[in-house]
Amino acid sequence: MNKLEKKERNKIFFQKINHEKILYFMILPTILYFIFFRVLPIFNMRLAFFKYSSRTPWTFVGLKYFRMIFASPDFIQILKNTLIISFMKYILLFPAFPIFAILLNELRCKNTRKLVQVISYLPHFLSWIVIAGVWISMLSVNGGVNEILMKFGLNESIDFMTSRTWIKWVLYFCEAWRSLGWDSIIYFVAIIAINPSLYEAAQIDGASRWQIVKNIIYPALLIPMVTMFILNLGFFLNAGFDQVLNFSNDAVLSSIDILDTYIYRIGIQSGQYSLATAVSLIKGVVGVFLVLFTHFTSKRLTGKGVW
Amino acid sequence: MKLRKMFSLPQILLTGFLFLLSLTMIVPLLNILAMSLSSPEASATMSGIRVIPKDFDVINYRIVFNHPVLMKSIFNSIYITVIGTLINISFTSLAAYALTRPNLTLKKPLMIFLIFMMLFDPGLVPEYLVVQSLGLMGSRWSVILITCVNVYYLVIMMRYFEIVPKDIIEAGTLDGLSHMGMLMKIIIPLSSAGVATITMFYSVIRWNEYFKASIYILNQKDTVLQVILRQFVILGDTVSLIGQQNVWNYNDFARVDYNALKAATIIVAIIPILAIYPVVLKYYTKDTLAGSIKE
Repeated sequence: MNKLEKKERNKIFFQKINHEKILYFMILPTILYFIFFRVLPIFNMRLAFFKYSSRTPWTFVGLKYFRMIFASPDFIQILKNTLIISFMKYILLFPAFPIFAILLNELRCKNTRKLVQVISYLPHFLSWIVIAGVWISMLSVNGGVNEILMKFGLNESIDFMTSRTWIKWVLYFCEAWRSLGWDSIIYFVAIIAINPSLYEAAQIDGASRWQIVKNIIYPALLIPMVTMFILNLGFFLNAGFDQVLNFSNDAVLSSIDILDTYIYRIGIQSGQYSLATAVSLIKGVVGVFLVLFTHFTSKRLTGKGVW
Repeated sequence: MKLRKMFSLPQILLTGFLFLLSLTMIVPLLNILAMSLSSPEASATMSGIRVIPKDFDVINYRIVFNHPVLMKSIFNSIYITVIGTLINISFTSLAAYALTRPNLTLKKPLMIFLIFMMLFDPGLVPEYLVVQSLGLMGSRWSVILITCVNVYYLVIMMRYFEIVPKDIIEAGTLDGLSHMGMLMKIIIPLSSAGVATITMFYSVIRWNEYFKASIYILNQKDTVLQVILRQFVILGDTVSLIGQQNVWNYNDFARVDYNALKAATIIVAIIPILAIYPVVLKYYTKDTLAGSIKE
């Protein structure tokens, strides 16, 4: 390509941009927002390699904070907690959503189905503060859960919220309580979208309900299942900050402390800015790798990526 | 025939199971409601699965609605939710409109930028320092500005705008509509279900926001309901809510059952959600999801 041609192309390019300039003005607020509240923080991440000071320039300390992190026994425990909580939520909840959607679809009575939907979507819209408030009261020593368990023959009430063995199950249960209805919508929609002629053909062949579920409904759920499985993998290191923050107390903190709560505690509460940034940096980089990994795996497996 | 199918054994079992499941979802909330509406003496003995108020009394709500700190925080929550949602929805629809115009030259680099912004989380402290250096610390604007656009909702909005019929847009262009006119007079009215859904999602997030408010708003008089709720319900700080003076005097306010008062505060935080919940159910239908799942 010679110089003249290049110049000509550039000119056309800028003419096009100029022609569309009102459109770019419309995106401008969004771009500015991200520049201020995402790009600037990304620049601040260099703090992981510097010693913070509010007045004087930061002093470079190299990998000091990373060495500190990996030498600390706290961090290893917290990483372990994060992985365990994330993993368990994943394997316990993931199958529950499509199963709930199938059960809902099997319900013949339309009004009952509507009622179940209306009730089960609601918890998704409550804040974690409200959910924690409700369940801390339900799970307390003389709360509703213990009362029911006593009726079924339990002798001594269980203090779920301060028990190191129970608290993780409380987290899993409350996550399910909050998201079961809402997160199953995607599967319910996939079931509704199935071509009715498939059911008719199955009925003519005399298929049982179980055969219909196995051969018609389950295959239709496979693609959304793969998509959701992969999508969630990208957020594996999150493990639910808001939930853990509001469900934890001094008695159980060490067994449910996760990366994000650790970052909050050392960063904002104790003001160790550099250390917290270093943990965020590790988490962010691993997160990006997980997302890229899932994107390319998904492209290979299903032909479509995360974006 | 149809009736027989409805009352077959599997159907009854299934209905029973889903009914029980729904009970576990609604009973804890109804219990909180019942407790908040009972008199202090009765509510202290109310078990966790009672759903009917005992000895009906609205003293808990009287305290909540006469409490200066709580009332101020409710006002702040409404203020942040309204202004914040307005900013959210205007930024999002403007960007979605521009990004869905055919042949936008820079569409690809812009989308890559936005998706990277969505995926990469710089973390708490780097963001905290930016809020500090922009001079937003302590102001309600920190909470409003920190979440202006959600890329996921932006993408859903784009899917809604994309399905507006092309001929109508062409007709609009022929009539000499500007881009703003097109957005306001054609695109938004024709995708009102989508705009309503996204508006609602944003407003729920705004109303439920507590964490950013708890670290960026330093004054108790500027903070939001969820933060007060957290102090009171989760961290158990009752004195600051009841007031030291009332505790010393041991008057009516100090004699209330804290659990019932907590329940009433929780209910106050839920009411706005319940108010827009019918809208969620109305608009969040098949096509929202069809829009969000990439074909």
